[in-house]
Amino acid sequence: MIDNFISGSAALFGDPFTIGIFIFGVIGGMLFGAIPGVSMLTLAAILLPFTASLEPAQGVMLFAVIYCTGTYGGAITAILFNIPGAPENAPTAFDGYPMTLKGQSGKAVGAAVLCSAIGGVSSALIMMAATEPLANWAISNIGPPEIFALVFFGLAVASSVGGRTMWKGWMSVLLGLLVATIGQDPVGGINRYNFGFADLAAGIAFVPAIMGFFAVSEIFVQAEKKAVGKYEAPKMSLDFPTLLELWTHKIAVIRSMFVGFFCGILPGIGATLAAFMGYGEAVRWSKDKESFGKGNLEGVISSETANNAATGAAMIPLLALGLPGGAMTALMVGVFQMHDLEPGPMVFYNSPDLIWIVFAAMFYANLSILFIGLIETKTILYLLKIPFQFLAPMILLLASIGSYIGRGLVLDVIIMFGAGIMGFLLRRSGYSIPGIVLGIILGKIGEQNFAQGMQMVHYDVLEYLSRPICLLLIIAGLLTFFTGIYKALSFSLKS
Amino acid sequence: MSRLKTTHIVETLIWLTIIAVFFVYSFEFNQEIEIYIFGATGWPRVILGLLLLVTMGNFLHLYKKGSEVQKGRVGITDQEENISYDSLYSIWKLIAILSLPLIFAWSLKPVGFYSATPIFIALTILLLGEKRIKWVLGITLFIYLLLIVLFMVILNAPLPQGNISPFYDFSAFMLTLNTNLHQSLNF
Repeated sequence: MIDNFISGSAALFGDPFTIGIFIFGVIGGMLFGAIPGVSMLTLAAILLPFTASLEPAQGVMLFAVIYCTGTYGGAITAILFNIPGAPENAPTAFDGYPMTLKGQSGKAVGAAVLCSAIGGVSSALIMMAATEPLANWAISNIGPPEIFALVFFGLAVASSVGGRTMWKGWMSVLLGLLVATIGQDPVGGINRYNFGFADLAAGIAFVPAIMGFFAVSEIFVQAEKKAVGKYEAPKMSLDFPTLLELWTHKIAVIRSMFVGFFCGILPGIGATLAAFMGYGEAVRWSKDKESFGKGNLEGVISSETANNAATGAAMIPLLALGLPGGAMTALMVGVFQMHDLEPGPMVFYNSPDLIWIVFAAMFYANLSILFIGLIETKTILYLLKIPFQFLAPMILLLASIGSYIGRGLVLDVIIMFGAGIMGFLLRRSGYSIPGIVLGIILGKIGEQNFAQGMQMVHYDVLEYLSRPICLLLIIAGLLTFFTGIYKALSFSLKS
Repeated sequence: MSRLKTTHIVETLIWLTIIAVFFVYSFEFNQEIEIYIFGATGWPRVILGLLLLVTMGNFLHLYKKGSEVQKGRVGITDQEENISYDSLYSIWKLIAILSLPLIFAWSLKPVGFYSATPIFIALTILLLGEKRIKWVLGITLFIYLLLIVLFMVILNAPLPQGNISPFYDFSAFMLTLNTNLHQSLNF
């Protein structure tokens, strides 16, 4: 492994052009992640056609680096503006934004920098050491029933955070799942709920929905406060967390690393569910549950460690099985295909150089989060000084461009603003926007894996539950679900 | 005693309408799939059934507790705030803020990004309370140029060009400028 890593590093840093691409990816990912309104996906979608002129290793490496640094960058907007740069940063906003409102933005961002780097670097190391054995384990133990069970458990966790009541948490998740049914069904390809719009046959694209629910709805919330004279500019602070403060959360970091890595290696799951589960577990094990959502540093730490730990792990199903774990890794498949390559087990034998350049680049990209992140963060914190009336049109336009570029459809921009208005109204009534987004993301994955799982076991539920991992996750999901129902009912009925 | 407000009833009715519309519409694609016994409607209908159940649960909560936050909930970043509209002007302003982006999005096809953007920026800044015209114009120009440089000149991103004259001609003019710039810089 060390020899391969050294040769990968030598190939990465031996060519000035490759170094240039690496630096571009690091800075581009961080910037697009950290600028409210656009995300790493916007940058990746714009860059995809240009990768045709690069070497395959350079193209895949560029996207892998953007994935690592963009996942961290999205935490900054989540903390400073309550606008997660990507869905995987949504739980970061739960505690990060209240910290900004309390004048502790520096502390939250500092923790995000450090924990993103720790999560990412550890994940990259495990990825390098264990891609092949982990891939083999995943092939033999993880199938559609397990993936559906994990989706179910993840949605149950997501419903327990974010909404004003458990009912609203579930209503948000189910609304997301319902939106995800728009377009062709994943089994028979039958058009569902296109309401006469041909463009809707492909479904609701993730990026416009995410931009609308997160970025646009937040702009509307702040604009409403402006309109009624209740707007308060967020406070800027540059006081970073001390090492002692971070050390007290070491258990949360280690737990989130494992949660993130486990979610990351499962095909189709990726960093979003990892972040939600990292956050959910932090709440579950905390003695001070009430403080979550009100500016608890552990909330930021858990979410950011988990989502970055998932980035390295998400490369395992992509490279070893050819299965993307999320939108960004799906775009990476596009880079492979542009060079007539197919990600999968054969890549390890046909293109070992490519694999190790990518692994080395991801390791260094995560490491660079620590150094460049700390320098960049101080500059980005000054974004809080820009008056809202000047920042808002910029964010709305960046979000419009980001939504349009993916498929070149004006309908996507309309959907984004529609989602923004819907998000604004739902937020006012106490629904969970991250719950809706997670529902949209996991809806198709859940349905597809449920259908495949059912076909595998010939619709025999007992056989379905005879798979240990599947059974464990289903029980965990059901426990979370029924505990939530019990708590909600007893609260509602108590006079 | 009931703590229901009119807004709670409206909220519940909206959810029930969504469920009803989606359920009725599901008959449009109620087709069998040979390899899958639940067909295309199985999954959406289960979601609708669950949504109906939790909507009822939510109604029960609204009836008994109104908008009260359930104890032990975490991650609620949007606490209910008493936002009151003291004047009709504030309400109209909010409606304008919400509808302006939709109008902008709708105008992208006929008018194009290059022509619609500066108007959208200036109107948004004005609606958000900036009264200094020099600042409105200056910031509009700054944001417009920044977006053009980043997305058109550097990233060459394809943006909507419009299909109505003279807007389409303006977009064509901008793209020609960009091509000439790239050629002169050998970019």
